[in-house]
Amino acid sequence: MDWLDQELKLALERKEPSPDFAARVIRRAARGPAHHVQRWLAAAAAVVVMTSAGLSYRHHQGEVAKDQVMLAFKITAVKVNHIQTHVKGAVR
Amino acid sequence: MNLLRGLAVAGCCAALLCAQQFTFNLDHLAAKASDSVDISLNGPTLQFAAKFLDSKDPDQAKVKQLIAGLEGIYVKSFEFKSKGDWSDADLENIRKQLRTPEWSRIVGVHSAEDGETAEIYVRNQAGKVTGVAILAAEPTELTVVNIVGAVDLDSLATLGGHFGIPELSDQKDAGKQKGPGKQKGSGK
Repeated sequence: MDWLDQELKLALERKEPSPDFAARVIRRAARGPAHHVQRWLAAAAAVVVMTSAGLSYRHHQGEVAKDQVMLAFKITAVKVNHIQTHVKGAVR
Repeated sequence: MNLLRGLAVAGCCAALLCAQQFTFNLDHLAAKASDSVDISLNGPTLQFAAKFLDSKDPDQAKVKQLIAGLEGIYVKSFEFKSKGDWSDADLENIRKQLRTPEWSRIVGVHSAEDGETAEIYVRNQAGKVTGVAILAAEPTELTVVNIVGAVDLDSLATLGGHFGIPELSDQKDAGKQKGPGKQKGSGK
């Protein structure tokens, strides 16, 4: 038997688990699903918070853009009207 | 290094000119102004803003109709406390850029009594209106507007009657009243 066979034998030989292994597995299995639900709830809450924050930021950006457009056209309207008044006054 | 810096500056200028149809070069007036408005809205921002405009509101409905074919709107407006804070050279810098075959001045108003000047330029390309420039100057106020895109001049002319501005027919009866330019502050 060469050294490789020896190494393989050592690596693959049966080892008994610790005496409390079965108890630990049962304990973990018992509380596992509850932990999963909590984790999913936390992830879902994070997604909802992030989505609503993104949507409200986008809405805010839209309102700011709308206000700017309205102001731009208000200034334009005032100036165009002013020019029209002058022109009409000159024609009369 | 200098070449890179030059290229970067040229790139910035080109990008700005792509958006605006001429450069305003009025930033130096901001420090002297008592009140200033600087609005730069490109096409995508205008179309985004259009989604927030309420069609039931007459002013907003009018603006929504106007911005449908626009690629941008750029406004710089300054109000000064005293006369002489802006110079003719500031306006001339802009006029120089509008003395090209694409631009034509359709209205020019000058009142020596009030010291007011107002001009409207239209940019035509292949028989279509592709931009409008408005220069309006009073002794203590200077406003420059560039509307980029297919501007409906008729709609632009009928903006009076909106934003609390009396329609021109109403003004006839009102006699010589204060210019609507003075109303800007009250509407803010």
